[in-house]
Amino acid sequence: MGFRGRWGTRAVLALTMSALAGSAWAEQAGGASPAAQQEPRRGGTLTAIIQPEPVILTAAINTAAPTGVVTGSIFDGLVDYDANLNPVPALAESWETSADGKTLTLHLRKGVKWHDGKPFTSADVKWTLEQVWKKIHPRNQATFAKVTSVDTPDDTTVVLNLSEPSVAILSSLNSNGAQVLPKHLYEGTDILNNPHNNKPVGTGPFVFKEWSRGNYIVLERNPDYWAKGKPYLDRIVYRVIPDAAARSAALEKGEVQYAVLSPVPLKDAERLAKLPNLRVTTQGYEWLSPWLFADFNVERPQLKDPKVRQALAQAIDRNTISKVVWFGFAKPADSPIPSTLTAFHDTSGITYPFDPKKAEALLDEAGYKRGADGVRFTLDIDYIPYGDDFKRTAEYLKQALKRIGVDANVRSQDTAAYTKRIYGDRDFDIAITWFAAFSDPQVGVNRAYGSGPIGKNIPWTNGSGYRNPQVDALIAATQGEADPKKRIQLFKDLQKVVLTDLPTLPLVELKFFTVEAANLKHPQPTGDQVYGSFRDFWFDDAKAADAKPADTKSN
Amino acid sequence: MTVFEISAPAAPAPRARDGLLLRLLRQPSAAVGLTLLVLIIAMAASANLVFPDDPLDMVTQPFLWPGEDAAYPLGTDMLGRDIASGIFHGARVSLLIGAVATLVSLVIGVGTGALSGYYGGRLDAVLMRVTELFQTIPPFLFALAIVAILQPSIPTITVAIGITAWPSLARLVRAEVLKLRHGELVQASIALGASDLRIIVLHILPNTLAPVIVSASILVASAILTESSLAFLGLGDPNVVSWGGMVGAGREVLRTDWYVATIPGLAIVTAVLALNLLGDGLNDALNPKEAAR
Repeated sequence: MGFRGRWGTRAVLALTMSALAGSAWAEQAGGASPAAQQEPRRGGTLTAIIQPEPVILTAAINTAAPTGVVTGSIFDGLVDYDANLNPVPALAESWETSADGKTLTLHLRKGVKWHDGKPFTSADVKWTLEQVWKKIHPRNQATFAKVTSVDTPDDTTVVLNLSEPSVAILSSLNSNGAQVLPKHLYEGTDILNNPHNNKPVGTGPFVFKEWSRGNYIVLERNPDYWAKGKPYLDRIVYRVIPDAAARSAALEKGEVQYAVLSPVPLKDAERLAKLPNLRVTTQGYEWLSPWLFADFNVERPQLKDPKVRQALAQAIDRNTISKVVWFGFAKPADSPIPSTLTAFHDTSGITYPFDPKKAEALLDEAGYKRGADGVRFTLDIDYIPYGDDFKRTAEYLKQALKRIGVDANVRSQDTAAYTKRIYGDRDFDIAITWFAAFSDPQVGVNRAYGSGPIGKNIPWTNGSGYRNPQVDALIAATQGEADPKKRIQLFKDLQKVVLTDLPTLPLVELKFFTVEAANLKHPQPTGDQVYGSFRDFWFDDAKAADAKPADTKSN
Repeated sequence: MTVFEISAPAAPAPRARDGLLLRLLRQPSAAVGLTLLVLIIAMAASANLVFPDDPLDMVTQPFLWPGEDAAYPLGTDMLGRDIASGIFHGARVSLLIGAVATLVSLVIGVGTGALSGYYGGRLDAVLMRVTELFQTIPPFLFALAIVAILQPSIPTITVAIGITAWPSLARLVRAEVLKLRHGELVQASIALGASDLRIIVLHILPNTLAPVIVSASILVASAILTESSLAFLGLGDPNVVSWGGMVGAGREVLRTDWYVATIPGLAIVTAVLALNLLGDGLNDALNPKEAAR
């Protein structure tokens, strides 16, 4: 009955493949090779979309995606990450870890200036680490937890002294992971309310110029940038366009030449990719490694039993979620550590293939027989209200669970109510959300399983309420392990436990995409390009470069 | 449709004996409206017979265009849900919300208007200030706020529409009651010692029915539209299929698969048009001057 019988997985696959054929995704992705052969042109204004509008322009304080996107061009990272997520020099020219793993030394670039002309020194790094990353930054409080002190032997050397080796630090040192703030503007002020949070002063290739709330953010070329001759563009205008259809039209008309984080409806991306003046790419998100999952509230009587959670997992076809619900912009996930983190990803053979019959048998075994009305039990599904894709995921789950006799009720609410419900009140059964795993699972994955933050209303932490001393011990061990091999083994052990107990069910690995103008040139996108800078971007066509953007004053 | 009998005493003209239905059918626009409405009601009533399965089920491949597969005459949406089934089942939700929300506004609006008009004085002043307070808030934004605060579900949406749509009814009924309050019928009843309740319910309200019925038919239409707009903005009940919810879901694929949003959109247009035509027709049919001509 229903879609398993009438609509085989193969048919769906074929359909999606044919829809994608001819849209030239792979060939167009990146647009790197032709650009490399040409001499970059100077000049031009790049108009980009920022959606939603950021609430603040300092990523050291707020790690929300839009803030990261805009500040990527204003602040340099200590390092950037290449497509394979290896750190490459930026503000730090080189770095070394001591043999015992307890000292990390960064050698900073000489002659770098803040946008206000003051020199950038090791004191800025030390101050930001001690006052912002360790005290305010949402993720870095954990990432830099092992740093006991910071030495600055000279203006360009920073030495981090660690109580235990801390491998994850090196995977979180870009402009988004560890944004360095100017000490001379922040020291002694109320950091959270410092006016420079919304008028940022960085060292990056572009200088903050103006923010007209609800309309646009303007950045201008930094003439004193440390990389001589760069950036190539004169000006960046980020426009706020709240309506997805309008974003699509603006890109199509060429009014806007760049937009990140899946700016248009997924179905529209296919159409835009076929246009000669646009390019659609899924590169530049490797550092994020986002995955979508369902948190089971393990404190609820029906969901207490791991067998029930395993049964529900087998009722859900992740192939359908990626191909139909996410229009192919996703890949079935079988572990909380996405497959993009190749070294760490390992299911140990514990998988939950789509098998509704098995699911029903498991539920029978667990004592949840179908009642007279065919219903075993009822539960609620809440989803993060980030768009129709998430809502459709909830709708799919509801229908999939109905097939095995579980009656689900989908609830919608705004983001604030959602996070309070899941992470504060814990008044839910199944919650759908996404996390970024980042390039080291210690930064992005551990937070979903550690028992510390349960019920403390800290968003994007352990939502399922899962408490397992063994898992807490494994998480603690991954933070202090210096030997990469042993550390990888720890993460494999962790996956084994959480895939068996299944407090959260990995659904799909999300593939965000960027839409950009065909005449916008740049080298191969970095692994963190979404939060990176426009340092190496240029227009290859004189007309486009000289054209003024759709006048920023009038809208 | 029992309202037709109740309204009989309202029109003393000789042609009234023809019956309201006949008078309605004599007007082409009203006849069209009534026919369309009967069709929609028939769709809603037969939804479970024609499409016994859950309209939210993903039954076949997604994005089947209308006519592509005879089994799914109106095609399927992005999740492979049958659009025809959605239209039939959506009719139930839209009509249910329209009817119940209108009932809620009728109770509040007629009650407020009758009390206000009959007793006058301080009660009138208080009730009318409250009415004005409601009138100063745009009803759609008000409903939006209520639904956003309480979670979107059929009961909350219905109540939100109902309690934001009544002020115009209250004003209308108050004006009618004020006209009748000092008329001979009411004065005679008072002289005979009838209670206030008896006078209001038996003598005044039946005589205000004509304009109330006309505005109620328009209210049903606007309730359907409001529900659709709420669902379009993502504040519909995700557990039931509704026309507005279908349009909202289809908006994402408007540029590539426009039929997903257009078909339920046409259903909304038809229902609202039918109710408006019927409202116009009722207005003419219930108007004693029109009927006497």
